[in-house]
Amino acid sequence: MKNKYIKCTIAIVAMMQIFVSCKKDFLELTPRGTALEDNFYKNETEVMQGVISVYDVMQWGTTGGYTMKMPLLSAASDDNWAGGSNASDQPNWVAYDNFNMDPRIGPQGGLWNKNFSGINRANLILSKIEGATTLSAPFKARVTAEAKFLRAYFYFDLVRWFGRVPLITAVLPTAELYTQKQSTPAQIYAQIEKDLREAYPNLPATISSAEKGRISQGAAKAQLGKVLLYQNDNTKLAEAITLFEDVNKVGNAYGFSLVPVYADIFNPANKFNSESILEIPHSNNAAWGDWGWINGGEGNVGTQFIGMDSYNGDTYSSGWGFCPVTLDLVNVMKTDPRFDATIIDGAALKAGGATYNARYQNTDYFIKKYAPLKAFRSASGVAEQNWPINEIEIRLADTYLMQAEALVKANQNPTRAKELLDAVRGRVGLASIPATLDNIYNERRLELATEGHRFFDLVRTGTAVTVLGPVGFRANKSELLPIPQTEIDITKGIITQNPGYN
Amino acid sequence: MKGKSTFILLLFSILFSLTLRAQEINVTGKVTSKDGSPIPGVSVLIQGSRNGVATNPNGEFRIAVPKAGTNLVFSLIGMTSQTIAVNNSQPINVILLDSMNDLDQVVVVGYGTQKKSVVTGAISQVKASDLENMPVMRIEQSLQGRTSGLTITTSSGQPGDGATLRIRGTTSINNSEALYIVDGVQVGGGIDYLNQADIESIEVLKDAASAAIYGARAANGVILVTTKKGNRNGKMSVNYNTYLGTQAPARKLDLLNATQYATLYNEAQFAANPNVGTPRFPNPSQFGQGTDWQAAVFNNSAKIQNHELSLSGGGEKSTYYSSFGYFDQDGIVATSNSQYKRFTARFNSDHQITKAIKFGQTIGYTRVNSVGVGTNTEYGSPLGRAINIDPLTPIVETDPARINLPIYTGNPVVRNAQGLPYGISEYAQSEILNPVAALAVAQGRGWSDKVVANAFVEVEPIKGLKLRSQGGVDLAFWGSEGFTPIYYLNSINQTTITSYNRNSNRGLFWSLENTISYNKQINKHNFTGLIGYSSQKNKGETNGGTKDGIPVTNIKDASLQFPVSRANDVFYGGEYLNTLNSIFGRLTYNFDEKYLFTGIVRRDGSSRFGPNNKFGYFPSGSVGWVASRESFFPQNNVVTFLKFRGSYGVTGNDNIGDFRYLSTVSGGRNYTLGTSAGLNNGVSPDALSNPDLRWEETSSTDIGLDATLFGKFTITADWYHKKTSGMLLQIDVPGYVGNSGPIGNIADLSNRGFELELGYNKRMGEFSFRVAANGSFLTNNIDFLGDEKQFLGGQTVTPQGLEVTRTMVGHAIGSFFGYRSNGLFQNQAEINNYKNAGGALIQPNAKPGDIKFIDLNGDGLISDNDREIIGDPTPDFTYGFTLNAAYKGFDFVMLGQGVAGNQVFNALRRFDLPTANYTTAILDRWRGEGTSNVTPRLTLQDDNKNYSRVSSLFLEDASYFRIKTLQVGYSLPTQLVSKAGLSKLRFYVMANNLVTFTKYTGYDPEIGGGSFGVDRGFYPQARTFFAGINVGF
Repeated sequence: MKNKYIKCTIAIVAMMQIFVSCKKDFLELTPRGTALEDNFYKNETEVMQGVISVYDVMQWGTTGGYTMKMPLLSAASDDNWAGGSNASDQPNWVAYDNFNMDPRIGPQGGLWNKNFSGINRANLILSKIEGATTLSAPFKARVTAEAKFLRAYFYFDLVRWFGRVPLITAVLPTAELYTQKQSTPAQIYAQIEKDLREAYPNLPATISSAEKGRISQGAAKAQLGKVLLYQNDNTKLAEAITLFEDVNKVGNAYGFSLVPVYADIFNPANKFNSESILEIPHSNNAAWGDWGWINGGEGNVGTQFIGMDSYNGDTYSSGWGFCPVTLDLVNVMKTDPRFDATIIDGAALKAGGATYNARYQNTDYFIKKYAPLKAFRSASGVAEQNWPINEIEIRLADTYLMQAEALVKANQNPTRAKELLDAVRGRVGLASIPATLDNIYNERRLELATEGHRFFDLVRTGTAVTVLGPVGFRANKSELLPIPQTEIDITKGIITQNPGYN
Repeated sequence: MKGKSTFILLLFSILFSLTLRAQEINVTGKVTSKDGSPIPGVSVLIQGSRNGVATNPNGEFRIAVPKAGTNLVFSLIGMTSQTIAVNNSQPINVILLDSMNDLDQVVVVGYGTQKKSVVTGAISQVKASDLENMPVMRIEQSLQGRTSGLTITTSSGQPGDGATLRIRGTTSINNSEALYIVDGVQVGGGIDYLNQADIESIEVLKDAASAAIYGARAANGVILVTTKKGNRNGKMSVNYNTYLGTQAPARKLDLLNATQYATLYNEAQFAANPNVGTPRFPNPSQFGQGTDWQAAVFNNSAKIQNHELSLSGGGEKSTYYSSFGYFDQDGIVATSNSQYKRFTARFNSDHQITKAIKFGQTIGYTRVNSVGVGTNTEYGSPLGRAINIDPLTPIVETDPARINLPIYTGNPVVRNAQGLPYGISEYAQSEILNPVAALAVAQGRGWSDKVVANAFVEVEPIKGLKLRSQGGVDLAFWGSEGFTPIYYLNSINQTTITSYNRNSNRGLFWSLENTISYNKQINKHNFTGLIGYSSQKNKGETNGGTKDGIPVTNIKDASLQFPVSRANDVFYGGEYLNTLNSIFGRLTYNFDEKYLFTGIVRRDGSSRFGPNNKFGYFPSGSVGWVASRESFFPQNNVVTFLKFRGSYGVTGNDNIGDFRYLSTVSGGRNYTLGTSAGLNNGVSPDALSNPDLRWEETSSTDIGLDATLFGKFTITADWYHKKTSGMLLQIDVPGYVGNSGPIGNIADLSNRGFELELGYNKRMGEFSFRVAANGSFLTNNIDFLGDEKQFLGGQTVTPQGLEVTRTMVGHAIGSFFGYRSNGLFQNQAEINNYKNAGGALIQPNAKPGDIKFIDLNGDGLISDNDREIIGDPTPDFTYGFTLNAAYKGFDFVMLGQGVAGNQVFNALRRFDLPTANYTTAILDRWRGEGTSNVTPRLTLQDDNKNYSRVSSLFLEDASYFRIKTLQVGYSLPTQLVSKAGLSKLRFYVMANNLVTFTKYTGYDPEIGGGSFGVDRGFYPQARTFFAGINVGF
């Protein structure tokens, strides 16, 4: 009897042992209700959400410092000052304005992080698209092209701002996180061209109204043309001219045409107009309010920056007084028919009874394109973060002028060059002038004033040191931003500093 | 209450219904101590009966027992009880040993017990006798002041609130919660579910050598709780304990009255703008004293009561212990919204099925109902509001002219029972509302049901070999509900729709453990080997919902069943899951109880660890040498016992969260598309994955000694060094990676300390006393936070998010961080003389009466870079002592406890709100040259940032010493109560937190919890007076 009990119990104990040890997968658990990188991106909906996350980076305004391209690049150029409440309001912007950036101060940290975030997301989605088996061929072709376009887009910003950056075209394995070396601008441009050339054939010529904001073939061609032209390499002009011609020609496949009234281009009610080629949408749909992560919302915080501080009056909403227009630009535009659509005359507003605070570097002239308009002020979320005002990064007048420039540089078809220049001028009632490089560059400044093109135009045409030298620009240094010091520190020197910043 | 008085009546009727019993054998004898001196007052009880006597002043006794073979139980407070069988040899002479000196007593060590004299680890023990009759609200608190190496800081005085408990310092920057094991079962969420009377002993495993048997869970120390069992071969013993108490705040702050408030506001207004003209309050004296808001939220007679009934006993084969408990405590702050009720039931039993097979189980059930208020927040806790609101506003508006103002007639204002509106302040801003009105609209409660149970089978096929299987379960259900009516408290605190939310949660933890142990003695060699296998799973889920716009006005009527529109109907849920699989072994060896060795190794595999580090090994070794047993040790009466101990071991912290090694993806990376601006959801990975992710690891060295001097004086001393490495932090990766780095094992910290426990026993005739004292020194240091990382952010205060603490390399975790003040500028000349090398003023905005900040980095201006570590909220030294004394039937206990070397940041006043009230300390502000060098001038225009810079000005010494418990009891003589059929009848009165000695000016210097060491209007511990009765049948 007693032995039986013992045996029974030992048997039970032994069984328990087996019960637990048999479950080999006991420690291998998968979380439920949490999407993992490994099991997401299974179908077209999820892949599209991945692609959207790449687009998302285009509209970011802060990534460790404010980096809104249009006002920031305008501040760097001779069109605008940095402004703000005082010199220490946005020291990174003031440093760029005065070209006294150092490895720790300047807009480089935010720009570096923003663009590499976009590249990381593009690389990731490209690898997921590759691995997905349930995607239809047309869908796959289009989203692949979009991701490549976007990767090229972010690299184009990086190469213009930093010159040598790590060229990363796949998700980095853990072992290689700290060991990336910088590539030469030529290598980076080659990759950009490759991505864009692979992208545009698979992009649609027109985008349905519900999808406006996604990349079209015309946008990719314009971007590639711009990339080719910006390299100052005459061997690349022919391809650029062809691409621009596709975009610019009357009856082009993409429906592009100049907006008859210049001021209408930047009316926020006039989104995705016929002149807009590459447009970054903004909205107040996410009703955001987190100052720690403004990128979570969809608004255009740049609009808030350039508004007049504590403005009280008609039409405009109050802003923070950044990027006052330089008197230099005011003077060259005074008699230009585009002045009223480009520059707000603060003194005139004051004379009409409005008030605002003069802030740092005040000139009483403010940016009008993308200015905060009362009618568009967001009623949801924190209004300052939620301006539903789109940014136009490439528009037809720009590609007209780029094609004209390419033609003149390549010594080709002067008639077409003049025709393009005249079309831009003619819209605002200006007479025809000869299509010389100087005239084209001058037209670019006036036509595209405060839109963020001027600084890189000055750099690529070699005039930056002449124009910006008096405020601090130094040749062979200020063309590029310093590499963020944190990158050099964390890689223990594998990433090296740009010339002049050591 | 009525039921209770009936019970007491019943008790007394039993007491006086004397009965006579048959007498068969007369037994006589004498009880002495080890040194031969007689011990009077020892209770001599016939086991299983209610008959007993006490020894006389000569230690002698005489008792009639029914027959030979009857057992007598000899017991006395502070002594180890003995049970002696009556046989024919008489007289019965008994030697009782002091319990604290008794080296033969055992301590629980995890998967077994060990004789205290041969223990090689650092283990502190609290026994049932120390806890008996000590009303504590939570069991954790009973350890405060009683053992060395523990820093216990109460999270708040709110009923049911826990404490920040740290064993030998804060071991991790992430989770430093100790592991709680109750009867071999890991329990989550602390041990407040336990009824104190059910506890047999609590052991604290402090060093790695003793804790390593719990491997990856043990780095923060282990607290082992053993619940009571019945006695074999005893009749049923029934015990009933109860107490009633009344609680009150120990201290109130002296706040400005209405006249002072108005006067000082005017002064601040004038300082900001001398051209102000008419001040805001042209006639301050018209306001008189104004409202005492503290009186409105404090309760000076909050009740507390406890009832415990236990039955225990056993026969030859089985023992049982069962108990019921009821505990009910009202809070001293906002009593209507701060209450805790707990019901507990327990059944433990053991059964000897055959000589070789044993079965046992424990099961405890606890139900808790509670309501609570914010306990330490500047954003609208009752006390925070009472401190900050102006004294001008009345609690209830009674002025007919004001009641008819549109603000009261046109809004759904909160009204009292008489229908009068609660006063709405015209001055207070932000979250600083009428606290009484705010309490009326904060409706909610929490509840929990918890069952912790285990069952085991133990087989001993041959002597010394034990095979044991134990299953344990911790099943908890908990939830809460809250209701917001439509209300108007002021223009920015109002609702237009009712809202009701309710959630239910379920957590299930189970474990299965199989161990084989073998104990063998060969001559003087003693071996015990243990190997074991353990599996456990921890999972749970939460679900809840919110319905807005339900048509009720009170939580009593609220229900999720009301139909509302889809938009007003929100459902949410979540779940968690983790598993642990382990094997472990322990070898204990001693030679003649002289040379001691213990070696432990445990291998833990956890679902929380990344695939590349699925298993962790945790070894430890410890040695001991009992020098006093050596033949060469001089025989003397001074050092009667002396043991040296040394240990080293490695333990882990698996509290790293579930699935953190995986890369998750999240939405919200949106983009707007389309001419009509549609929002498109974007999804991308949150961070990189880290397949290497593993536990945090703590290695610890301990050197200690145990000694007994003169047979009465005990000393335990330990020095330790604990080093934690690989604490989880987000890894910094280069920006070009384009995403956040993964969570990685990065950071290191260390704790060093010295601990001392002293005990002394003395008996003089019928008077005996015992003193136990302990003290612990502790230094915590952050060693490493990452290659380029010097600090982690910590606590902030006010909506401006001012940094108050930082965890910084080279300093203690969560140290205070801020500016240093160097007094106040007494005149303009001092401001003008405070110049930098370039001749510019360092504080150009300062005016006389403003703080002079020290330019710590010497750059000639005051900026964020002039901040440094200015203090530490964690005590350098904690200490406690217990004094027990007994004379005849009287007994006395005093527990004192204190800390030293820490600071509290006083953030009681919302500096960002100019209309916030002040304490009367502001009356000593700077008012002109030489008036103060401490409290800055008053101004609404604080250009110098006197208050909006975190500075040493607000740090206060938080050292304190507290008479934690003071108790006097009287037990009726055993002979008398036994005639009433009782074995024990004791009455006592007691005070908790009677006196606190501290320089701190707030309510309570002991501030634990999430806002550790930062006083934002801390809910203080109560001062409580109790009266209680213990009855044994």
